[in-house]
Amino acid sequence: MKTNEKNQTLLQKAVVQWKTNPLFSTACVLVLMIILQTLALGFDFESFGAWFSHWTRNWINILRNNASVGIVALGMTFVIISGGIDLAVGSTLVAVGAVLMVCINSYPDGLFTSMGITGLPVYVIGIAACLLMGCALGGVSGFLIAKQKLPAFIATLGMMKICRSVTQQVMQTQGVKVPSDFLAIANTKIGGQVVLPIIYWLILAVVLHIISRRTTFGRHVYAIGSNERTARLSGVNVEKVTALVYVLCGLMVSIAAIIQVARIGSMDYANAGSGYEMDAIAAVVVGGTSMSGGKGSILGTVLGMLIIAVMNNLLNLMGVPPFLREAFKGFIVIAAVLLQKKEKNA
Amino acid sequence: MNLSMKGIVKSFGANDVLKAVDFHLNEGEICALLGENGAGKSTLMNILGGVLPADRGTIELDGTPVAFANPAQSLGAGIAFIHQELNLINDLPVYENMFIGREIKKKSGFLDHAAMYQQTKALFEQMELDIDPGAMVSSLDASFKQIVEIARALMMNASIIIMDEPTTSLTDPEIERVFDMLRTLKAQKVGVVFISHKLREVMEICDRYTVLRDGVMVADGYVKDTTIADIARDMVGHEVRTGGKAGGAKLGEEVLRLEGLTQEPHFRDVHLSVRAGEVVGVTGLLGDGRSELFRTVFGAQGRYQGQIYMHGKPVMVASTQQALALGIGYVPRNRKENGIIKDMNILENGTIVTLPKLTRRGLIDRKRQHEQFDVQRRELRIKMERETDGITSLSGGNQQKVVLAKWLSARPSLLILDNPTQGVDVGAKEEIYEIILRLAAQGVAVIVLCSEAQEIIRLCDRALVMYHGSVRSEVSGETMNEHEMMRLATGG
Repeated sequence: MKTNEKNQTLLQKAVVQWKTNPLFSTACVLVLMIILQTLALGFDFESFGAWFSHWTRNWINILRNNASVGIVALGMTFVIISGGIDLAVGSTLVAVGAVLMVCINSYPDGLFTSMGITGLPVYVIGIAACLLMGCALGGVSGFLIAKQKLPAFIATLGMMKICRSVTQQVMQTQGVKVPSDFLAIANTKIGGQVVLPIIYWLILAVVLHIISRRTTFGRHVYAIGSNERTARLSGVNVEKVTALVYVLCGLMVSIAAIIQVARIGSMDYANAGSGYEMDAIAAVVVGGTSMSGGKGSILGTVLGMLIIAVMNNLLNLMGVPPFLREAFKGFIVIAAVLLQKKEKNA
Repeated sequence: MNLSMKGIVKSFGANDVLKAVDFHLNEGEICALLGENGAGKSTLMNILGGVLPADRGTIELDGTPVAFANPAQSLGAGIAFIHQELNLINDLPVYENMFIGREIKKKSGFLDHAAMYQQTKALFEQMELDIDPGAMVSSLDASFKQIVEIARALMMNASIIIMDEPTTSLTDPEIERVFDMLRTLKAQKVGVVFISHKLREVMEICDRYTVLRDGVMVADGYVKDTTIADIARDMVGHEVRTGGKAGGAKLGEEVLRLEGLTQEPHFRDVHLSVRAGEVVGVTGLLGDGRSELFRTVFGAQGRYQGQIYMHGKPVMVASTQQALALGIGYVPRNRKENGIIKDMNILENGTIVTLPKLTRRGLIDRKRQHEQFDVQRRELRIKMERETDGITSLSGGNQQKVVLAKWLSARPSLLILDNPTQGVDVGAKEEIYEIILRLAAQGVAVIVLCSEAQEIIRLCDRALVMYHGSVRSEVSGETMNEHEMMRLATGG
């Protein structure tokens, strides 16, 4: 029995949307949290200007601090939609970060000028090597999963252990010297604020959204996640697409690594990126992407990331002890998935 | 124990599946229960096994009326049902499987492995079976698994065993091994209901037979008093079905040729040639290997021996992408599992095959995607509201048309259809037939895999009948009738 759409009140429409559209309920939760956060910041109508600049600064902080893991989550979205999982993202981040550091350090500044190339900073070699390494490491996972038919969980768990361990061993004697022009990649101020990481995140989200919606590759990822057999019987090259999904995820990780190194100017090989896999998966899941594959969206992941980020900020503002914050993160992941489950049954 | 089922009636909604069926089984007798798909065999046995309740009718064991509310009660009365999919746990040893759910425990609460092993060993010795009770079930071949299930039924004191198509996945020596077991059972006064399509086996092992057709018992008697041909006629019914394909179609060049195509254990030494504009049927019983054969031709079944030729050129088909590039289209059986992508909408399901052709500068051209699908929608008369609705909002027939649409847009020169009217209502069935015949008239070579004789007769110029992975014979014209195809398909 369908009620006439024109006769529905706004509330009824909202209820229908809430029940059927996971993006809508995710967005609602986000709005609610932003309202809470606004109140927590001590909204005061009389000194609106001062409050607003405080609010903006707070938001830029939130977004910038989450840009790296947000970008990783974009790649993770593709992996999870394809029906897989990538536990290696955090360790891949330090591995490609190490490649970046080594390249930046070992090429003398005069290399390009001696080759007659001017106007190109020498660190582009490091960036290129870092991106290639990310694709290659993703490619190894992809090969193991698509061609060798290893479960994604196992293959990426192995890669996770290997990447961090080897990186720590190799890098223990390496000095760290990041040229200042490299730091500009992430730290150049626009309008008096450090917002470049946020802009990179936004651009990548738009690009990946278009890839997921408008390209053959993107649609094939959804098809494989929903029904691999039908996809294969429809002439989809399941192995190739599956492997490429992990390459794409590796590429996102290396971009995140570049931003992180450029932002901080160093990398802690023992701790950098640790827990990223779980944070990224949490964002994807809170954003309404199904762990069994076939369903989900980049937009959802961005919203999911924001929900977690705003909640962290809120807990901070409210003075919740740091040890308890992870518990709230866990709570929201479980709550979000329960919410989505209910919708499915409705 | 003597079993007597009288006047069993069962309906599912408006569909009368069993219309007052009688069935008898005497002690130590092997009785075949025969009939086409949908004749009511499984329903009748599910009632006996306590899986389904009967609407009316009585069941008597040795003259005492009984009623079974669930499979456990039926089993308690001594009736064991061995389903086609075996219920063994591969990663446990044989003796643990024998006692699953009613394990022997020591006083301490731990399992008494020694006792279970000994009891299993004693039973196997009594049955003269050469199976190690400690062997892993996964290491046994299919016939021994079947035998372990029978032995388990005996251990639970079953005196009647129902076997649903036990030989479908077995090779000939394996079948012989199961038959030996059945003979031993018979000697021990156990009654067996043997559900099968393979009449040759029925003639070999069974004492009596009962034939169901459309929910009515149409024949029963002693196997020694009848012939395969008679039973086949009883199964199909006497009415002659008309409406064959109008002959005289003009055939073009050869499109597909198979030479000695083999993939053990599925099929072997298959030769076939199909020309443009021709509709060739391939029929047989469940497990005859025809699905595997044509999945292989489509590159979805792995390695094979022999040679495939497309348009006279030898080709290697190792993946579905290669098949697609060669101009082969394939509508698989089991639409839900293999045909549709449930999380995607109608438009995407209908264009997934041709998606790479619909892109411009790397992006999908939505206008062309819509136009291409709309041509097929009108051509195939797909009934739907919006093309952005989910595929599962459509009826079975319309879903099947969407699956057809995705292949027709690719303009294949060879189209393979496996069970194309599965789960499709009568009206849509006729529409799909017309679509297939129209395609052939346009010069597409069509192969239809189907076990329904009427469908083969309706669509095909000629048909191959397969049995156990080999092509037994080719039928066409006069010989393409239900009796002949049933005879060949049952190994007669």
